[in-house]
Amino acid sequence: MNLIREIWQSIVRRDPLSTDKGKSELVFLNVWLHIHPAKVKKENMKFRHTFYLGFITFFLFLILLTTGIALMVYYRPYPAQAYQDMKDLQFAVFMGTFLRNMHRWAAHGMVVCVLLHMCRVFYTGSYKKPRQFNWVIGVLLLLVTLSLSFTGYLLPWDQLAYWAITVGTNIGSYAPLIGGQLRELLLGGHSVGEGALIRFYVLHVAVLPAAMILLTIVHFWRVRKDGGLSRPVWKLKGKQEGLVTIGAPTQAAALQATAASKDKTYGLMEVVTGKPIFETVTLEEEEDTVFSYPYAFVREAVALMATVTTIMTMSLFLNAPLEELANPAKTPNPAKAPWYFLGLQELVSHSAFLGGVVAPALMVLMLLAIPYLDRNPSRRPGDRKLILWLFTIFVAANLVLIVIGTFFRGPGWALVPPWVHVAAGAE
Amino acid sequence: MERRLQQLFFALSLLALALILAAGWQANTPSWKNYQRSFLQLEAQEEPNAITKAAVLATPPEIHQVLLPGLQRVDRCTTCHLGVEDPTMKSAPEPFRYHANLGPHVSAKFGCTICHGGQGLATDKESAHGKVAFWPNPLLSTDYIRASCGRCHKEGEVPGVPELTEGRHLFETQGCRGCHKLNGVGGSIGPDLTGEGANRRAPEWLERHFLAPNAVSAGSAMPNFHFTKEQARDLTYYMLSLTNEEMGSYFSSLRLIPSPEYGRQLFVEKNCISCHAIGGVGANTAPDLLGVTKRHSIEWLDEQLVNPELVYPGSAMPEYDLETNARKALVAYLASATAEDAQLILSKKARAMTPEDIAIEAGKQNFSRFGCVGCHGTELQGGVANPNAQGGEVPSLLHVSDDYTKDEVIAIIRNGRVPPLDNAAGPTPPLYMPSWKKVLSDEDINRIADYLWSKRQKAKDAW
Repeated sequence: MNLIREIWQSIVRRDPLSTDKGKSELVFLNVWLHIHPAKVKKENMKFRHTFYLGFITFFLFLILLTTGIALMVYYRPYPAQAYQDMKDLQFAVFMGTFLRNMHRWAAHGMVVCVLLHMCRVFYTGSYKKPRQFNWVIGVLLLLVTLSLSFTGYLLPWDQLAYWAITVGTNIGSYAPLIGGQLRELLLGGHSVGEGALIRFYVLHVAVLPAAMILLTIVHFWRVRKDGGLSRPVWKLKGKQEGLVTIGAPTQAAALQATAASKDKTYGLMEVVTGKPIFETVTLEEEEDTVFSYPYAFVREAVALMATVTTIMTMSLFLNAPLEELANPAKTPNPAKAPWYFLGLQELVSHSAFLGGVVAPALMVLMLLAIPYLDRNPSRRPGDRKLILWLFTIFVAANLVLIVIGTFFRGPGWALVPPWVHVAAGAE
Repeated sequence: MERRLQQLFFALSLLALALILAAGWQANTPSWKNYQRSFLQLEAQEEPNAITKAAVLATPPEIHQVLLPGLQRVDRCTTCHLGVEDPTMKSAPEPFRYHANLGPHVSAKFGCTICHGGQGLATDKESAHGKVAFWPNPLLSTDYIRASCGRCHKEGEVPGVPELTEGRHLFETQGCRGCHKLNGVGGSIGPDLTGEGANRRAPEWLERHFLAPNAVSAGSAMPNFHFTKEQARDLTYYMLSLTNEEMGSYFSSLRLIPSPEYGRQLFVEKNCISCHAIGGVGANTAPDLLGVTKRHSIEWLDEQLVNPELVYPGSAMPEYDLETNARKALVAYLASATAEDAQLILSKKARAMTPEDIAIEAGKQNFSRFGCVGCHGTELQGGVANPNAQGGEVPSLLHVSDDYTKDEVIAIIRNGRVPPLDNAAGPTPPLYMPSWKKVLSDEDINRIADYLWSKRQKAKDAW
């Protein structure tokens, strides 16, 4: 018995969870959990402040990692084999269909959640000081997510994959000077073929996931250092003055010294001159905090399980599409890019330069620059009416274009409402 | 609140577990397992003693598959069609029935889908029979299944499938190549037919199309050739066989079946009778071939056909560039050749042709082979409808020498021509003269012109 206890204690090395010390040690003695603070503000945990969209996105990424690694076991990135492997997953591999479905729906879900998360951050003004650069990292994460989805789109090597990537990379090739070369570098040739498949595969399973993980670590670290999850600070009555974010020159209020509590211990890493850059907490605020264990963890766990069960339910009833074997000689009409690029394709159909170059470049640059262009220090929605309207119009315009591209475009990119059935041309 | 959340977490975890179990259950109960159980019961019925009966029933379920790299496919059909190779299952219910009359085409070597169509990789009935979205090759009905013979046997006669030979003959003589490309040769007015058999067209559609092109594809430029029902079926068979698949060396070596009939055809074509005799009938410059297969081994004869000098130094026999199966066919014919047959061959031999005749004949061959006859007619009569072209139809070429010089005609064949319009404001006529300079050599074109001019002579004689 003693030996078992000794082994257990050598693993956990913390006090029992019934004590406050044990609760904090659970967090900061554990390398995986210590991205959390030992105590969190109650306000930060409210579902309606963030809808947990960041968490959900991260959980979808975890689902994608695990199902993706399982799928790699069955997948060979060569044209004929790749398609046969899809068929094997469907017909011969135990739970292969379920596995592929989970990966597919989690991937689409992640694109949606990243976009929703970005909207939430914008509407709450959470990209403002001191979080400007974390917004930039968020935009990069959005681009990595889209690239992951786009590269994964080709891998089944069916007609859907082949032509979506052909159209998608064509949009990119409209960029002046370098567009054509960029496309060739990405495809390993002039058109989508064997070379493109292996390049997309390497990007999809190695390069982009690595970029995603590295950027995610920075993203989380900064959220933690900037005071945790976002909350509507403008609603906190009379407490704003007490909130001091050191390192933000405009709010250079003096550090409030509080008497050391006898119940607390402080770890002092190093004595340095200068001010800490992270947020400090006033005594009143201290009263509004609770231990991460169990309050934050149970919420995260519920969000995780809700995400997992949603994806599983979808995967049980909805099958991921798989069309005919890719056939470069047979262009489907219309050939469409993945849905999140259909807004751009819609613009391209009017003007290649506008949709292929101006719009995407402007969108990315604008998103990256938002925290530096928006000089309004207030996060209160009432003070930001103009910019909120502009952003809403931007989002709505994108949405309308995507809906038109997805549902209202028929053969020859002609405007056809979804309720009108157009027979595929027999001749 | 906190208690609620913990309960929610617990409930969601249970739900996740249930979902995984449901997915596992779904994956573990595929329909093919039911078929295998039924088959085992069928087999067990025959077993006399209880121990073997139990042993049969205890056979674990598994997917059966035939890997066919040479045909680029994997066929799992035998996962359910378990009695295909078991003669005791002659009267078993489907899907367990024995497949009679397979001949050399055993499923272990050829699989099933190369003949039957369908989706070999699939393991449920709907998908396997290919009657699902996004599978271009559904199961062929028994009416058309013999068309599949032509997927491997692309040349010569296929025993039991005269439709294929007839369809191919029609295609080459009715001028289809004038508008349609096949294996890179032909016009571009109609669609390329190189992979037509892989195009997910219902055989019934093709047949109706040949009977009345406009009835199934409105506005089609294809003229109505007034084929008979049999001819439409022959052409449908031929179209279905054009799948343009890559095949391994064994399967492509079978493009030609080495039948004695084909051997005889070669014997006539290569004019063997002008040196050899059979049973004393024929020439006597070379050995008599009666009973030659008894005097020499098959291998010796094969070598003789490949390289006569090697077997008989100083042999006068030319080296004929025959492929393996053509040589096999010749040898097969020689095994059964008789003097009476040689007599028959001699009697049908055409008179000697002058070089001029040969050039005109070559022109006629070109005129037919490259599809000119499709629009201008096998007798140069023209008359295929071409709305809004001058005269409303493709012109007859019988009197072409009255209206044009030979050079002008050669230029028209070389460069193509859009027909002059009846009504300048009307629509463009669907048919036009394609440019042939990339397909035909100048010599070929000159010969076609010679052929046209030779017809003038005859037409004038008739006056």
